[in-house]
Amino acid sequence: MNLFKKMGKLALGAILLTTFASQSAIAAKYKVGVSVPSADHGWTAGLLWWANKAVADFKKSDDDVEFYVVAASSGSKQVGDVEDLMIRGIDALVILPLNPATLQNVINEAYDSDIYTVVVDRELETPSQNVFIAGDNAGLGTVSGKWLAKELKEKGNIVVIEGMPIPINKQRVDAFDAEIAKHKGIKILDSQTADWSTQKALAVMENFLQKHPKIDAVWCQDDDMLKGVLQAIKESGRTDIKTVLGGAGSKDIYKMIKDNNPVVRASVTYPPSMVASGIALAVAGLKNEKVGKMYHTSPSRVILAAELVDKHNVDAFYTPESAY
Amino acid sequence: MNKTLNEPILRLENIRKSFSGVQVLHGIDVTINSGEVLGILGENGAGKSTLLKVISGLHQATSGSVYLDQKQIHIKNPAVAKKYGIAMIPQEFNLVSTLNVFENVFLGQELKQGRFLDKNKMRERTQALLNQLETHLDPDALIETLSVAEKQMVEIAKALVHDVRILIMDEPTTVLTNQEVAVLFRLIDKLKAQGVTIVFISHKLKEVKLLCDRLMILRDGHLVSIEPVAGLNEQEMASKMVGRELNQIFPEHSQASTEIALQVEQLSINNLLHNIEFKVHRGEILGFAGLIGSGRTEMAEAIMGLRKKNSGKVKIFNQNVTIHAAKDAVKHGLAYLSEDRQGSGLIMNFNLPENISLISLKKYIKGFIQHKKTTESAARYSEQFAIKAPSLDSELQYLSGGNQQKVYLAKWMDTDPEILILDEPTRGVDINTKKDIYHFIHSLTEQGKAVIIISSEMEELIGLSHRILVIREGKIAGELVGKEIEEQKIMFLAAGVNDKTPRMEPIL
Amino acid sequence: MTNKIVSETAIQPSALSRWIKSISLTSMAPLIALIVLLILSAMVSDHFLIPRNLTNVLRQVSYTGIIALGMTFLIIAGGIDLSVGSMLALVGVLVIMILNHLGDGWMAVMIAISAAMALGAFFGAINGWLTTKGKITAFVATLATMSIFRSFTLYISDAGEMVSRNNLYSDVGTGYFLGLPVPVWVFLILAIIGHILLRHTAYGRHLCAVGSNPKVASYSAINVSKVYFLSFIILGFTVGISAVMLSSRLNSISPGDAGLFYELDAIAAVVIGGTALSGGKGTIWGTVIGAIILGIINNMLNLSGVSPYLQGAVKGFVILIAVLMQYKRAQ
Repeated sequence: MNLFKKMGKLALGAILLTTFASQSAIAAKYKVGVSVPSADHGWTAGLLWWANKAVADFKKSDDDVEFYVVAASSGSKQVGDVEDLMIRGIDALVILPLNPATLQNVINEAYDSDIYTVVVDRELETPSQNVFIAGDNAGLGTVSGKWLAKELKEKGNIVVIEGMPIPINKQRVDAFDAEIAKHKGIKILDSQTADWSTQKALAVMENFLQKHPKIDAVWCQDDDMLKGVLQAIKESGRTDIKTVLGGAGSKDIYKMIKDNNPVVRASVTYPPSMVASGIALAVAGLKNEKVGKMYHTSPSRVILAAELVDKHNVDAFYTPESAY
Repeated sequence: MNKTLNEPILRLENIRKSFSGVQVLHGIDVTINSGEVLGILGENGAGKSTLLKVISGLHQATSGSVYLDQKQIHIKNPAVAKKYGIAMIPQEFNLVSTLNVFENVFLGQELKQGRFLDKNKMRERTQALLNQLETHLDPDALIETLSVAEKQMVEIAKALVHDVRILIMDEPTTVLTNQEVAVLFRLIDKLKAQGVTIVFISHKLKEVKLLCDRLMILRDGHLVSIEPVAGLNEQEMASKMVGRELNQIFPEHSQASTEIALQVEQLSINNLLHNIEFKVHRGEILGFAGLIGSGRTEMAEAIMGLRKKNSGKVKIFNQNVTIHAAKDAVKHGLAYLSEDRQGSGLIMNFNLPENISLISLKKYIKGFIQHKKTTESAARYSEQFAIKAPSLDSELQYLSGGNQQKVYLAKWMDTDPEILILDEPTRGVDINTKKDIYHFIHSLTEQGKAVIIISSEMEELIGLSHRILVIREGKIAGELVGKEIEEQKIMFLAAGVNDKTPRMEPIL
Repeated sequence: MTNKIVSETAIQPSALSRWIKSISLTSMAPLIALIVLLILSAMVSDHFLIPRNLTNVLRQVSYTGIIALGMTFLIIAGGIDLSVGSMLALVGVLVIMILNHLGDGWMAVMIAISAAMALGAFFGAINGWLTTKGKITAFVATLATMSIFRSFTLYISDAGEMVSRNNLYSDVGTGYFLGLPVPVWVFLILAIIGHILLRHTAYGRHLCAVGSNPKVASYSAINVSKVYFLSFIILGFTVGISAVMLSSRLNSISPGDAGLFYELDAIAAVVIGGTALSGGKGTIWGTVIGAIILGIINNMLNLSGVSPYLQGAVKGFVILIAVLMQYKRAQ
């Protein structure tokens, strides 16, 4: 019994000591906390990769800034993460909130205690930040709609696979539907959610293929889901689907575009690198520096354009070492 | 009776066995002849099962020797016994209910072809064995779908996989219906004809008389006699089984009152109890005798509301009472000391005060439990009963069986009962504690409480009871009062023979 | 008889010393572990002992801690409930719906809180009914209701986050009283009530008896099913309170991830606190310490910048150590 107790303490002690050792105790002038969702699908994995890349880049250029990157698996866990970051005395917080409403209170607390706050991607109901940076969700829908209409030559049947039922998804789908409504020859056969998950998209697409004998194009707003869709089409052996369009821009899909894939010919950006820019904006804000060659410090709202990527410009976006 | 009767096969010489200092077998000398059916009779605790377990390798004799075909052998375990051709069919079957017949027959002795089981061969061999036993069992039938008798057949088949020379059966008929008993007896005859020696334990004198060639009677671990069955009648058998003076550990009987404390009418439980009726008076000790499985415990549980009954009225002090749960029984002053102290009596990880106050907890609650009062009360009981425990705070699992039993009694006494049903009150308890308990029971009657004792120990029943009711197969087989109470008479009633009014039931 | 009483008091001191001895060796183990952890944490991070951090930890702990109190009762009775996390989300969503329906003001908040407790107890009763009347093992029954509760939560909320529009509700979960957050007060007060219920009432005693040996309990005139059923209701009640604390702290509830894996954290807290999963014995204060230990591990690892992915491993090791110690104790 005593032996077990000792072993237990020893194990705990060992774990704690390694954590202690990994902690370099350089006094930094600025501390930046970065809180993101843990990597549960491709895009969030990309997010963490870009956050760490930005941190690594800043370590080289600005040695007076220290970063703490934490990832949470649930909204309430993320609340705890932010509380802990505040205890560590952060000067700036860069956060991609898992659920904006869940995080609202704690972000308020951070912002109210003069922490320079950058909210990424998911907007709070009550704004409580210095900077909000996001992709253009409505733009993603509109650009996608336009491109598909052009590719289909204004005529054909489309099925839509949606993401998680949260506001971002709604903004994209509403804009897409509005754009398609302008093109009378194009019909949306079906629209279902698959939570931005490859497996779920595979299952949903399998059902669509059973249900609809003639499909001309698929829009699924996310390149992770696109992989599931392509798999379902491949397994079914159907040849009627001539065009598929994902979104957000994963490196695998860019590679397909580069390699002249007959059905995957484009993607629309919604880059996970936005968190890296968010970190840059936070550092600039803290140091009161001007952004790039602009004549101003950090703007309060940055919306990254939804850009159409096809084989003409894919080389500029393709980052083979990225996680997404 | 049989031509090979006189040829000895197994000889036991001066077999002694003791369990933690208690001598159970006092030097048994027996010779078993090949091809005979040897019956073994004796009271509970006479040492029958122990002797058979020594032969079949489940127990090791403390001293003595075993000779098979004139050669000394050492039976270290059942596997060795099997090798010598000795197999035992236990009272509790060792079958895996989720496997089928042939898998059970070959359990632990599977036939293999290379690395894999040879199911076909096992199935064929099982079929052959079952044919030999003349049963129509399907080798692929699941054990859980079989009747008790069929399971017994599987056990026998299991024993016959190896060439068996001596087959030991421990009370094989207690679980069978009359018809099934007939089948079993035919089977025994057939095995005997094949030259197998059968050793057969039974409580039922008639069966022994019918089936056996010779009869061995044990009493208190001593061999009383071994002789051909032909020369014995049932009364003689019973007398030889008992034949013991009651010694002085029992107090004098106190005077029972005429006031009826508990009256039970028409108590029946499906297939278990049939129309049980009795009364017990204040200050009286009523004993319930009967064989194991005769339904005495079930009767007590039904009265206490622990078991569903089909019919039955209970009157306490001439008032009709309804008892749906143990709670109701306790409220009416009933107490039931179960025969299974550890399984249904005490919480082993509770300490003394927690156990003693478990039923009577209400007494100690003033808003919250008054721990001090429960401790004081436990201290009083441990004085009164001389309970030996490391401390009052010790968990019950650290107490000896006798002290646990005293705590169990204290637990019920703390409910201030008027009528106590004590089921095997001295099971697994040493002689001194027994004496303490007997005197305590006596003191209860002096306080005017009514006591019912269910016991398998004749001596105890006879020494304590004013009156004894004998239960056989769920029915009251007879009543013995005062001077009538004799061990032989109880045995006759319990085993189904009565010297005055023969109530023979055809079992074959 | 009277002179015998004297000898009885004579065994008291030895009983007392034995008691102290047994306590220091076995039941104090969680407390010792907590103290060791506190010292280590203080060494690892300068921020750890900041009062605000300690109150944060206690608040983070209180949500699962409150559930763990109820879970202690059920586990002592020999049961287990896997549905508490989903139940919390369901109660949370229903409470915010009720709140938004009633509008502003303290009255609405009070009604919503009462409703949460009643709903929690009701969902607990469903689990209890399935196990006692339906004769389904607790593990399987609550595995099923875990899925059912979560599904209903997503359905009635349309999988969208539910935000409270009551202006006072968030004061419940974010408020402070005498320097401690309100949820922490609730946690501690419930712990005291729980301790009293377990140690000083007939129900608590019966619960231990049922968990230790249900047959002995029924032979001791205890209504086993009722005791077991009640422990499910107690657990449901604590889940209801936890749902209020969490949803008012966040002023919202996210149906998909509120209460996710809370069942595991609650069970872990109970086990670390020294209550055996086999039932029959356990303490409330052990569970409180178990919950705090889990919270400190999380906090300390966060503060010292350890990968969040390793935190689960540390939690796992602590649970294993706790169980190994119990196992050795049982021998």
